[in-house]
Amino acid sequence: MTTSAIVTAVHDQVLASGGSSGDDGGFVGFIFLLSGFAFYALMYFRYRNADKRHRHESETEATLLNMKAEDTFVRSKTGMSNRTMNGANSHEVRGARKKFF
Amino acid sequence: MENPDPMSRAAEQEPVGPVPPSAPDVAAPSSPAADAVDGSPQGFDIPVLEPDDDAPRVIQTDEGASDGLAKCSRCGATEISLNVATGNLRCNFCRFEWSAQSAADAFDLNGDIGKLAGVTMGSGSSDIVPSTDEVMTFKCSACGAEVLIDTASSTQARCHWCRNTLSMNQQVPNGAVPDMILPFKVAKETAIASINKFVQKRRFFAHPLFRAEFTPENVMGVYLPYMVVDINAHARLSGEGEHQTRSYTVKVGDSQQTRYDADLYDVVRDFDVHVSDLTVESSSERLDQITSQNANNIINTIMPFDVENAVRYDSNYMKGFTSERRDSNLDELSPIAFTQAEDITRHRVNSTLTFYDRGVRWTQQDVDVRGQRWVSAYLPVWLYSYQQRKSNGSTFLHYVAVNARTGETMGSVPIHQGKLLLVSGGVEVAGIIAAIVLTALGI
Repeated sequence: MTTSAIVTAVHDQVLASGGSSGDDGGFVGFIFLLSGFAFYALMYFRYRNADKRHRHESETEATLLNMKAEDTFVRSKTGMSNRTMNGANSHEVRGARKKFF
Repeated sequence: MENPDPMSRAAEQEPVGPVPPSAPDVAAPSSPAADAVDGSPQGFDIPVLEPDDDAPRVIQTDEGASDGLAKCSRCGATEISLNVATGNLRCNFCRFEWSAQSAADAFDLNGDIGKLAGVTMGSGSSDIVPSTDEVMTFKCSACGAEVLIDTASSTQARCHWCRNTLSMNQQVPNGAVPDMILPFKVAKETAIASINKFVQKRRFFAHPLFRAEFTPENVMGVYLPYMVVDINAHARLSGEGEHQTRSYTVKVGDSQQTRYDADLYDVVRDFDVHVSDLTVESSSERLDQITSQNANNIINTIMPFDVENAVRYDSNYMKGFTSERRDSNLDELSPIAFTQAEDITRHRVNSTLTFYDRGVRWTQQDVDVRGQRWVSAYLPVWLYSYQQRKSNGSTFLHYVAVNARTGETMGSVPIHQGKLLLVSGGVEVAGIIAAIVLTALGI
């Protein structure tokens, strides 16, 4: 897992626990229990930079022209527990050459 | 002395017709657990990116180029090299300076991408013929001696008898002479300082042997092979997007949990996209970026380069530097370039999707490549390498690389695992104690 992924995961957990005040103490304790592993990962990626790559998706020049947008309301959804849409993939990157294994 | 053509070559320079890249299938991953809530279609259709025109148009990029003695136009000396401070070629005998023609001007690379149709490619990007020799033989026209040029690492060699420099500028189908070259701009002293600074920030957990052997003065200037691609495409993306309308908390058992309401939309974006100067490694070794096995991702990270400032290939830019030869053809690189172009397209479109604050799930992504232009290039990198020998006998080649145009620096420093594990263990123990104390205090 990359440094940013670790940070994001921790961040997401913090956000997820934001609404349930009764669990906060347990969560803080959990974070401390992981501190050694987190420190190792942080240092490993700082020295080896195995998570780094060229961000071709944002660092390459591109122009969009003749944009046609169609947005059609389908329905309302209620009572979802996820903060973000299931399977959202508009930020997905498939062309990165970097792989860990 | 005359200015002759080489009298002999190990290989004929028959122009080799490039093979059009085959239409690649860009595999799309299945949508991960996407549809548990609303039952919308699962997975993607596999997009097929096909060039409209199968017949490639070849830009002859070595027209007028000659092999052999490349002389200073003022004094006739062959002691020519890059002056990094000015970016010009300089005669080291009479100090006269000049520059090769801009590749963008010479080959019309700044032309409207929207007018690209089919495959256009520089002649230096044509397919490599495996039987073409790597080591080329030239006859020195100054003294008649035979001189070998090992194209794996250079396109120049010095005549061992008369000390003149022989250059190879005409393209042969072995990938050694590209269409254009981007000269070094960052001086060696600057690169050494950058590498030193990078490593000094990572000394504490660095392997002691690396700390003892670290010699940034050993940095090498290397021209690495890349393909620079312009793409004219039409894209149609369709899927679903969610816009949050409300969030609230509900009581579940003894705890409070957050719930979200949202509006679901069908979303379609239909547009033209022009991708400019997409840069892809064209050495199979550098394309291999499995970070548990090599540190090639470090070299990848220092992109992008200002390829718009590249010039027509001239071997004199290579003096004092080394190079790696291109060994990959368009049919191998096209799937990579097209997949990356899709990534670029998808990310650019996000600026039109800000309304969908819960995200967008594309279920259909059709990208029709109407035109593509490929140009091969040597791009400049200052590379410090360090071969780490591990206790189990294996080796790992670490790099600290500096983009010799922008100065961007990235590296991999060998870790002293024992020390890092020891300190991490200490942190873990401290964390456990802190967790116990916090729990006891009810915080």
